[in-house]
Amino acid sequence: MATRTPGDALAHPIAGSAAKRVPGRGHTRSAVLFLAPFGLLFTAMLLAPIGYAVYQSFFRTRRSGLGLGPSTTVFAGFDNYVTALHDSRFMSSFLRVFTLGIVQVPVMLGLALLLALLLDSRGAVFKKFFRQIYFLPYALPGVIAAIMWSFLYAPSVSPFTAALRHIGLEVNFLSDDLVLASIGNMMTWAWTGFNMLIIYSALQAIPGELTEAAVMDGCSGWRVAWHVKIPAVRPALILTTVFSIIGTAQLFNEPAVLSQVAPTVSPTYTPILATQQSADINNYNYAATQSVILALLTFVLSFGFLKFTQRKGTFA
Amino acid sequence: MLTVASLVTLSACSGSGDSGGSSSGGKPVTVEFWGAAVGLDKSVALWNKSHPDIKVKYSQIPAGSIGGYAKMQNAVKADNAPCLGQVGYDTLSNFIATGALEDISQYADSAKDKFVPWTWQMSSVGDRVFGIPVDTGPMAMYYRTDLFKKYKISPPKTWDDFAAAAQKVHSADPSAYLTTTPQDAYDLGALTWQAGGKWFGTENDRWQVTIANPQTSKVAQYWQGLLDKKLVTSDPMLDTAWFKKVQDGQLLSLVSAVWAAPLISKNLPELSGKWAVAPMPQWSAGQKAAGNRGGSATVVLKGCDHPKEATEFATWMSTDNDSVTSLIKNTGIYPAATSGQQLPAVDQPSAYFGGQNIYDVFKTAAANTSTGWVWGPTMSQVQSDMKDGLKKAGAGQGTIPKTVTSVQDSTVAAMKSQGLSVGK
Repeated sequence: MATRTPGDALAHPIAGSAAKRVPGRGHTRSAVLFLAPFGLLFTAMLLAPIGYAVYQSFFRTRRSGLGLGPSTTVFAGFDNYVTALHDSRFMSSFLRVFTLGIVQVPVMLGLALLLALLLDSRGAVFKKFFRQIYFLPYALPGVIAAIMWSFLYAPSVSPFTAALRHIGLEVNFLSDDLVLASIGNMMTWAWTGFNMLIIYSALQAIPGELTEAAVMDGCSGWRVAWHVKIPAVRPALILTTVFSIIGTAQLFNEPAVLSQVAPTVSPTYTPILATQQSADINNYNYAATQSVILALLTFVLSFGFLKFTQRKGTFA
Repeated sequence: MLTVASLVTLSACSGSGDSGGSSSGGKPVTVEFWGAAVGLDKSVALWNKSHPDIKVKYSQIPAGSIGGYAKMQNAVKADNAPCLGQVGYDTLSNFIATGALEDISQYADSAKDKFVPWTWQMSSVGDRVFGIPVDTGPMAMYYRTDLFKKYKISPPKTWDDFAAAAQKVHSADPSAYLTTTPQDAYDLGALTWQAGGKWFGTENDRWQVTIANPQTSKVAQYWQGLLDKKLVTSDPMLDTAWFKKVQDGQLLSLVSAVWAAPLISKNLPELSGKWAVAPMPQWSAGQKAAGNRGGSATVVLKGCDHPKEATEFATWMSTDNDSVTSLIKNTGIYPAATSGQQLPAVDQPSAYFGGQNIYDVFKTAAANTSTGWVWGPTMSQVQSDMKDGLKKAGAGQGTIPKTVTSVQDSTVAAMKSQGLSVGK
């Protein structure tokens, strides 16, 4: 056994290539041995459930008469998919989440980038303190945070509504016009710090020589940020965007909690809520269909974004 | 959150002892029971003390409409359900239609005469028994005596009086309202029940769906009228915001079932002595009709290894005097067992309600609730659609009558899509 860890090879590519060996049969066997636990878990926990959901989506439960006898399961082909695509509530939930994402993701990542740059700037004080403060919301369990926000928003108990009333403004954060923005605010509050940390780590990895050289060339702090730092953290920005796309597509906690207090947040407000509701009313096949459609769309969106950014010249 | 985690671990090991029966192996049989109502555990503890050979293991799960039913259905589907579950009468057809319940006729038939007849009907289909009734939900009007005095109104005898009182209160104080609108299918169902309408029926092996019947339309238009004049609010009842508004004197009354009494007294202890209960307002003077909201049965879920023992416990829980007394005190039920309705616990004055014996009102209401109300087989869907529509109507999008007609259509569509026969 070599005492070298894989990390060494990555950190010192030259040393790694020197230690290259021709893999033999013994290696294949040990590779399989090492991969087996992962392979088993990956199949059992990920591939099998996905396969089962896809399988379920092609069937339908039939009952007859009063429905008090046993039910039968019949092959439905693409019927469930056709139903889902014609389901106006399900389709409008996609549009709603898409609208939210288009606005919220750039705002949140812009904010995260700005905070990361400020923390990374020379003049920053109390770096550690601020870094922890920004990250704190992410450390709170999502549902707990959502419940807290629902109290902050609910008109009869909201301190914000009360404060605004004092200056003569009547604002209902849960009204039809504002509720989407309120949800966006909750998401931004919860995730900005997390994304900031990823971008900040990328900033830390920029070699000092680069920024020093830029300063020597007469760049101001802002221009260093714009011309040196931001291009250097592009991969981190792409990564956080993909995370955010996937996260937004699966939006559940915030609307699920708000639906208790906001009249306009329906049980089919987001695609995942709609799927959950189908399962709630015992229509498991339809719930499986909705999950598959959501997974496909999320895949297309996040993968499409990756392809799109890679197409634009410099590879990320 | 902690409790949820521990529940998951509890339900994960639901394999009960494999001895054939309570007497055979000599080993005690373990029966699992999932319930949502507060205080069921106390009855379970009483049972376990006196019945060493059948051990009941109780787990608290969320209320049906907020995930409890889905949890049970999922457990049945995953083949690791507990033996016993608590299911409202309204959702029993749903559970039967999804094949989630065991037919317990052979173990339960002998208990039939111990219960109020309509509760037994609600728990069975034809002569097949699917559950043991626990309680009923006779309705009345809870009101704040101090505020009624302040605004000089007396408990309204008719719905017209009720509307006039709503007008009087709101004119006197723009921040005060008499009550809130019906929030969901069960509120509207109970009001329809009182008005003499029916939502579902079965004839010639076909379902009849009559959600948009004349009585429901009358109820819907009545509340829409109050809503249009902004004389009622549309807050969800009995939640944090509602309790706060009641505390601030912004909501004066609540038309609800008997089980709301302990919720009110536990959440608003400082208002002790300022409440009373009056019969529901009537559609025409001199009537005495009441509605029923809620009530549940203990069911034996599909795949139970010990249906006989499970039924034995369920029957005991609903009929044993000590158990029922405990359920009245801790859960606030109104018993479905005839013997339970004679207990001193449902026949005594309550300090919280100013020394009134509120059970007098509920007893009369129970006696004046028409039988023959039937719940449909897709109540989860009805509830979901109705709640959504009513919430939106309360926020000024759409109306209550429009919600009623759209739920009629969506319910017929949902039933047909499952292959059920829907007739005229």
